[in-house]
Amino acid sequence: MNYLDPERLEALAAQYVLGTLSRLARDRLDRLSRENESVATAIRMWQNRLLPLADSLPPVDPSARVWPAILRRVHGQRESSSIWANLGLWRGLTLAGFATALALSVILLTSRSEAPPETLVVVLAGQDARPALVASADRLGRVLTVKPLAVVQPASDRILQLWALPGQGNPRSLGLLPASTSGLGLVRLDLPAPAGQALQNIPALAVSLEPLGGSPTGLPTGPVLYSGPIQRLY
Amino acid sequence: MALDPEKQRQRSAILADLLARVTLFDQQAFAELYRLTSSHLYAVALRILRESGAAEEVLQESYVNIWHHAGSYVAAKSQPLTWLTSIVRNRCLDQMRRREVDTVTIDDEEQGMMLADDRPTPMDLLLSSADALAVKGCVELLEAGQKQAIALAFYQGLSHSELARHLRQPLGTVKSWVRRGLERLKACLDGAGLER
Repeated sequence: MNYLDPERLEALAAQYVLGTLSRLARDRLDRLSRENESVATAIRMWQNRLLPLADSLPPVDPSARVWPAILRRVHGQRESSSIWANLGLWRGLTLAGFATALALSVILLTSRSEAPPETLVVVLAGQDARPALVASADRLGRVLTVKPLAVVQPASDRILQLWALPGQGNPRSLGLLPASTSGLGLVRLDLPAPAGQALQNIPALAVSLEPLGGSPTGLPTGPVLYSGPIQRLY
Repeated sequence: MALDPEKQRQRSAILADLLARVTLFDQQAFAELYRLTSSHLYAVALRILRESGAAEEVLQESYVNIWHHAGSYVAAKSQPLTWLTSIVRNRCLDQMRRREVDTVTIDDEEQGMMLADDRPTPMDLLLSSADALAVKGCVELLEAGQKQAIALAFYQGLSHSELARHLRQPLGTVKSWVRRGLERLKACLDGAGLER
């Protein structure tokens, strides 16, 4: 079935938003919309057309227990040891496993040296598990290279910040990832020590969205956009 | 929540600002966002799921999701309330489609109950929203069957096969009502320059 035939896509997107599609067709279109911008756009346009119809529903107050329950879910998780637990990080890590394996195989295949590469690699993926950035460093080098795998373009008044997530304790900033008008390019961050040491006991990295100049508090303040586990190839 | 266009613009500006602050984990903004939108979003969920426990659960999940993903709202592309509504509706519809596999959702008795309660029917809602949105002309262009099928699908979350059972029509007829109705609505709305 060709979903991308414009007429067919239009009809499917309309029925997706209206809600009449079967579970299977719904799931399929859902998946496609994450991979394909024209599918996502068609759905969004139909949402803009149809969802204002919901405005005519007479409002109904939910029971008073809903708000405290939401707060519990939001806070409970924030307060438990680290803010990162609630950010879907660990779920993201599992999902990113495949992407990581893929990136590793690419790095291994393209590595020209005969000796095993003494490298740290991190594939940073979003909540949708799509890899967005790959960070890598030589174990003995003091430079961490961050390369975008997709177009990464923060709003003009925001900047991306890279964090080391220790198993315990607060995240530590590794530096800012400035983007140009055409998006994030290759960024090299200096490490205070050889990577093997500087990132010792760090299981994962994450990227948050921060005000220009970086987090004012020294801890992430904005949403975490990407995260991934550190793979050590040595 | 039917508002005149000026009030709607003001509401959108307020909600967009709150969403931007929620992106930075501003709890006060989150509480205000809940205060302003929860009764609307709950009404959407309750209509589709028809059960307060399930609707409250979806509402909770939706706001937790909004807390984490407010950053993915792109102001230029949709109204904030449209974006928020889509989060709740998607969850409701996913649940409905999952349920459908197990049971037939509406039997005759339930249908009687739906008609007996004093809430506005889906058709009333469709027509009154058409008033509010000044797209009355577009909804009125639809034939009776198209109107009914679209109203039931939109407000009650019925699938094609549920619509067919509910309206006692062959599946093919219902599908074509929905398809043609949507095509007409689109042509009319886009033509009227109302597409946002």
